[in-house]
Amino acid sequence: MARIGVFVCHCGLNIASTVDVEQVVAALRGYPGVAVAADYQYMCSEPGQALIQDAIQDHDLDGVVVAACSPSMHESTFRKAADGVGLNPYRLEIANIREQIAWPHQRTPEEATRKAIGTVRSLVEKVRRNEPLAPITLPITRRALIIGGGIAGLTAALDIAEAGYPVVLVERTHRLGGKVAELASLYLTLEDGERILAERIEAVTRHPLVEVRTGSEVTDFEGYVGNFTVEITRSTVPDGDQPTNHPVSQSTTIDVGAVVLATGFDLYAKNRLVEYGGDRLPDVVDSLTFERMLKSGDIRRPSDGRVPQEVVWIQCAGSRSPDRHQPYCSKICCMCVAKQTIAYRKAVPESQAYVFYIDIRSQGRGYDEFVQQAMESFDVVYLRGKVSKVLRRNDELEVWGADTLTGRSMRVRADLVVLMMASVPSEGSDKLTRLLRVASDESGFFSEAHPKLRPVESLTAGVYLAGACQFPKDIPETVAQSSGAASKVLKLFAQPELASEPSVATVDEELCVGCGLCVPACPYDARELHPWKEVATVNAALCQSCGACAVACRNKATTVRNVTPRQVFAMVEALL
Amino acid sequence: MTPRSPNGSGRVLIVGAGIAGMQAALDVGDAGYDVLLVERRPSIGGRMAQLSETFPTLDCAQCILTPRTVEVGHHERIELLTHSEVEAVEGELGDFHVRIRRHAAYVDWDLCTGCGLCQEKCPGRVPSEFEREIGERKAIYTLSPQAVPNKPVIDADHCIHFLRDRCGACAKLCPVGAVDFEQQDTIIEERCAAIILAPGYDLYRLEHMPEYGGGRIPDVIDALAFERLLSSSGPTAGQVRRPSDGKVPREVVFIQCAGSRDPQGHLPYCSKICCMYTAKQATLYRHRVHEGQAYVFYIDIRAAGKGYDEFTQRAMEDEHVIYLRGKVSRLFRRGDQVVVWGADTLSNRQIEIAADLVVVAPALQPHAETARLARMLGLPTDEHGWLLARDANAHPVESPRPGVFVAGAATGPMDIPETVAHASGAAAQVLKRFAARRDSSV
Repeated sequence: MARIGVFVCHCGLNIASTVDVEQVVAALRGYPGVAVAADYQYMCSEPGQALIQDAIQDHDLDGVVVAACSPSMHESTFRKAADGVGLNPYRLEIANIREQIAWPHQRTPEEATRKAIGTVRSLVEKVRRNEPLAPITLPITRRALIIGGGIAGLTAALDIAEAGYPVVLVERTHRLGGKVAELASLYLTLEDGERILAERIEAVTRHPLVEVRTGSEVTDFEGYVGNFTVEITRSTVPDGDQPTNHPVSQSTTIDVGAVVLATGFDLYAKNRLVEYGGDRLPDVVDSLTFERMLKSGDIRRPSDGRVPQEVVWIQCAGSRSPDRHQPYCSKICCMCVAKQTIAYRKAVPESQAYVFYIDIRSQGRGYDEFVQQAMESFDVVYLRGKVSKVLRRNDELEVWGADTLTGRSMRVRADLVVLMMASVPSEGSDKLTRLLRVASDESGFFSEAHPKLRPVESLTAGVYLAGACQFPKDIPETVAQSSGAASKVLKLFAQPELASEPSVATVDEELCVGCGLCVPACPYDARELHPWKEVATVNAALCQSCGACAVACRNKATTVRNVTPRQVFAMVEALL
Repeated sequence: MTPRSPNGSGRVLIVGAGIAGMQAALDVGDAGYDVLLVERRPSIGGRMAQLSETFPTLDCAQCILTPRTVEVGHHERIELLTHSEVEAVEGELGDFHVRIRRHAAYVDWDLCTGCGLCQEKCPGRVPSEFEREIGERKAIYTLSPQAVPNKPVIDADHCIHFLRDRCGACAKLCPVGAVDFEQQDTIIEERCAAIILAPGYDLYRLEHMPEYGGGRIPDVIDALAFERLLSSSGPTAGQVRRPSDGKVPREVVFIQCAGSRDPQGHLPYCSKICCMYTAKQATLYRHRVHEGQAYVFYIDIRAAGKGYDEFTQRAMEDEHVIYLRGKVSRLFRRGDQVVVWGADTLSNRQIEIAADLVVVAPALQPHAETARLARMLGLPTDEHGWLLARDANAHPVESPRPGVFVAGAATGPMDIPETVAHASGAAAQVLKRFAARRDSSV
């Protein structure tokens, strides 16, 4: 007879305000094989876990069901607790009575309680048939791949190399430095961006453990955390672009254990801002073009080379525009505008700068003060409102907008208009998304594993995120976050070996006829046919236990451990 | 695992066990190095433990935080010293000598099982700092039911035994005899090779803002107090009831930039996180009180982050939160309501709202501990007391003193994801220096 413990969590009021927890406990007491049933306010807390551990020992339990939140929250917490007192962690299952019961059925508490009882019973049926499993261990290749040679990639590369691990840094263009190399100055100090960049590039290129590959891209990628195989291809057009040089393409394959994505951002294409003349007016430029003018010290209009005396900056060009362009705020433009206006006013003293904005987003220590300085010390005129259009009047521009503070429409004449273009994921990010099987959001930025607590990890184990490829960030945030990504790599490389989930698909070689139907059914490339045994094999490290193979298999030779048909039928029966 | 090295090489001291200190501790500990994590309060979790839900996903803060606090509490590489303060630090990168005062808890934590009987029976009731004084705790208390470590401390200033030499209920009832009224502070001397400072932030006090009632109007509360009202583990079990009479407020006014962006009257900087948590609080209020109306006074809406602008838009469109661009000039009591006078700078009208509850989003300030830590370690701060990095752009997590690193909101206002990434960054700086030393000593 099984000796199963059932532990029902209130989750404060999250569960208990809908599900009658005591009724669930009462219904499970006396259910066949249930030796003990109890409830607690927060099962995940230290006393809650101790309650489970004590019960395992006192009642000599051989299985546990915790009825609580989603297993993605606390399955590992409770399995660790079970393991701590000698119960095989795979003999513990979670019944999700929060996300799948308490929250969606708030209006029907009685039915929610009934569903909770059925769900817990079905998990009791499952757990009594669970095999005790041992984690699979995998080796780790202690070399990191960094994709992108901007300030994010350089920072991560240096942190990892200085900790003593080899790094391969792949950069698509022929130079390191990314967007920072294009900046005339940095806020808040207005210092030259070259200094921090030159220092870092020098440190990276001279470091014996860093191999820099510029003009190169990742063209193939397979494997899993700790054991990736990457094909890197040198781009086709050599530097110098001599017409006689034939395009060369040279590919090499390397093994790495971790990847840091640091592919940065691009500007949303200016020519899509038709309403601002971005597609046709030469004196409507984007922010990086103006930055280059500032950097060269030669601020001239593209059309006729005249030094502009009146410049209008238009913020949120393509940002915060869910209907026509990007829905999100690009985060860095407000500060960048303040910096550019100050630099412009210093460079062309007899001038006037105007800024159209929706909200001024100068958040953090010293940032608001910096914008105030632009307004007060450099007489930059800030106008709250959206620009409706930019027109050409002879050799001048006219910016039409509405000042939402005075409610008046206005026209500002300008020699030059600078569009603060939205930041978008850099070109080719979508290709990497597919190649590395990382997730990205609807705008194409790579998705972090958790928006609050796992900001530098991707949803793919072993792939980490640094800088603006995750979302627009300024330099201090990018640098800190890139070091954060490096810390995850260092943590991974410090492990003697990797433990991998053992509840994966298995093949009964007696039953398998080697038909091969399961191979294309697997979305993770985890299956192949054995070269001579005529049976299918499973790469346990790649298998995600989705069960597609088990469905494809005609004679039930494939099952997923601890989700066998026998278990599923028993669970369904308990629910009905 | 190799044993701890007696001379503290390969060991980091982390001061502050909020989300920043905990993240840094886990990153360093998981990489195989030892951590001494010192926290002033009796348990870990910091400010995040006080929050109800988090933006922009509305994840319950406790639900995502508890796994972290439990992990820190159980980690074999992390030695936790709560209810403790760092008193002195000497030495340099690779060899710091640290003196730590462990405050008397008057409970022998080795004996205590965390059963909670003492708290239940203690007759001494005290306004709770953790509940922002809108809830009570006992004189013997833990910060929350999920406290790590789940061991109580006695507040001698409010304990009947210490004040009048009577009671002693906790000592009599404790089943394991863990209460020890004679316990003294202990001084612990430790060695470590690097230090991460993560003392976090505090809120600018309502008392400094007479224009918002100066803390004397019970139904004008600060944002952290409102978090406790929203929290299912808070004093109202998650029901929004105002402090004065327990009534469910039908009209709630949120005031942003209270003390922020005000160089003449208060603090000049923007506190960065208030726009988002106000949008969250207004949304959650509407989830709790469906027929309620929320108003937000703002200067600029600063929703810069992934999904942030969209979140604020949803508060306006789906929850009908009314955003008013303007400053509140004054508020005062009228009957059982709080009248808010403000200006709408978009329509250029004066606005008067009779509110049932006013929630103020005060400026963030460095935690009071920060100044002492900075003095003790000889670290620079800006004029407002925020810890300064060696170089804001190039080295944002390093202090100018070698071997001393900074993590999280002690360097300036930042939200949780930025804090977590920042703290991991500080951990990386420690890890790479430890690794370099390990290699050179072999």
